[in-house]
Amino acid sequence: MKTSKKLISLSVWLILFVLIWEAAAMVLSDILHDPLAEKKVPKLLTIAKSFLENYQVILNQSFITLSYAFSGLLIGTALGVILAITLRLSKTLEKAVLPYLLASQMVPILGLAPIMFGLFKNISACRVAICAYTTFFPVSLNMLLGLNSVPENLNSMMRVFGAKKFQIYKKLLIPFSLPYLFSGLKISAPVAISASILADTLSAKDGIGYVIIYTLYGAGTAGQFWPAIIVSALLGVLSFFAVNFIEAILLPKKIRVDEQ
Amino acid sequence: MKKLSGYAIKIDNITKVFYDAKGKGRVVLDNVSLNINAGDFVSLLGPSGCGKTTLLRIIAGLEEKTSGGISVFGMSPRDARVKNTYGFVFQDPSLLEWRTVLENVCLPLELKKVPKKKRIEIAREKLSLVDLSAYEKNYPSELSGGMKQRVGIARALVTEPEILLMDEPFSALDEFTKERLYNDILRIWQKTNKTIVFVTHNINEAVKLSNKVCVMTTNSAKIAKVAEIDIPYPRKRNVDFINKVSEIKEIFEGYFYENI
Repeated sequence: MKTSKKLISLSVWLILFVLIWEAAAMVLSDILHDPLAEKKVPKLLTIAKSFLENYQVILNQSFITLSYAFSGLLIGTALGVILAITLRLSKTLEKAVLPYLLASQMVPILGLAPIMFGLFKNISACRVAICAYTTFFPVSLNMLLGLNSVPENLNSMMRVFGAKKFQIYKKLLIPFSLPYLFSGLKISAPVAISASILADTLSAKDGIGYVIIYTLYGAGTAGQFWPAIIVSALLGVLSFFAVNFIEAILLPKKIRVDEQ
Repeated sequence: MKKLSGYAIKIDNITKVFYDAKGKGRVVLDNVSLNINAGDFVSLLGPSGCGKTTLLRIIAGLEEKTSGGISVFGMSPRDARVKNTYGFVFQDPSLLEWRTVLENVCLPLELKKVPKKKRIEIAREKLSLVDLSAYEKNYPSELSGGMKQRVGIARALVTEPEILLMDEPFSALDEFTKERLYNDILRIWQKTNKTIVFVTHNINEAVKLSNKVCVMTTNSAKIAKVAEIDIPYPRKRNVDFINKVSEIKEIFEGYFYENI
């Protein structure tokens, strides 16, 4: 029932959006006779047509952007989890480091790119690093929140049954924090995509962001601009649902923390 | 079973002071001495804030005493804990939500690195002791409060501890569930001859279950009286029972009037 209601409201919004878009496109081209109408708000049919003409380029370039984002997200997640566990181990460290972590997130990507490039001297590594840098913070913060939310009675329980410190992490703290980790990932995954697109536009020679910036300045195939924009937006949405999907697979079974 | 006679727990002049943030001390236990024989069912009875749970946590090695001596079968509480002398049943069942009933009961054995086959075999045996064999594949969220507490009891028994520590295990349950669990715990006690230390604020419960009741009051931070209950099991609400309950109530009334 709930999902069908969601579907209805989603399709209502979609239809409304399409209608308004089409109306705006019609007004621009047929009533105002704007010569740049095709560039400002093209008709959806035109976009669809140019997508079909250019889909190979657009999908290939999207895949490049996506793979940088994915590698960055993986590295960022790993770093974020390790950082959260380190901060959990020491309250003093947590108090000392957390404000700097927050400050690190205030550095804009545009300023970050030259620093990263100077550091890695390699454009691919640099693109991955930018994605990792923008994703580790939400992951780390949420994971830390999870680690700190473990009820005291469960901690006592583990100690009473003679658990060693690393066993407490393995069997209680980390499994308990997994739902928190996933809510961090739901923020981080779309952020990784947009960071990757932004990194494309900086000094790279490929990626969907490169297609956008290239066509925007009038070079390349003009028809690729709008399909590229829409695909970029879809990538972000897709990444969010991908995380949801993985969570749904892992968490209802409450992850078997049973080894040997 | 070793050492069926003699003291299981020897507590000598234990004092516990809690300090608040300003460094002001509050004496929770003041020179408390108590000997618990192997095979005893001892209740620590008193209103909240009387130090009964603190005493239990000191016995369990979860809390350090400020001064005094305590030995458990000749060991320090910490050593006793490492050697799995204790099974602990908590007020809140303290089960891991992402584990099935069977996996929860297996946990203490898992921490001891008992091979999987062996621990499942032992866990199943304890689950049948509390009548929950049919629910081994369920998750805690699918069980009632009483059933969760029975899982907690099975988990406490799984390492074959010589001492069972119970911290107000039935206080959150309804009367009907309580009665049933009283029978369960008495049956287990009589069958296994374990030493049980049982914290409660319910006078009826203490008289119904234990052979020794340590009465603790809020203002003295001492054990006011150790009452022997020699009514034969199973205890019905007869004259002896009611007399015993009133006798213990009188000890508290003395303190109530003193307060006014």
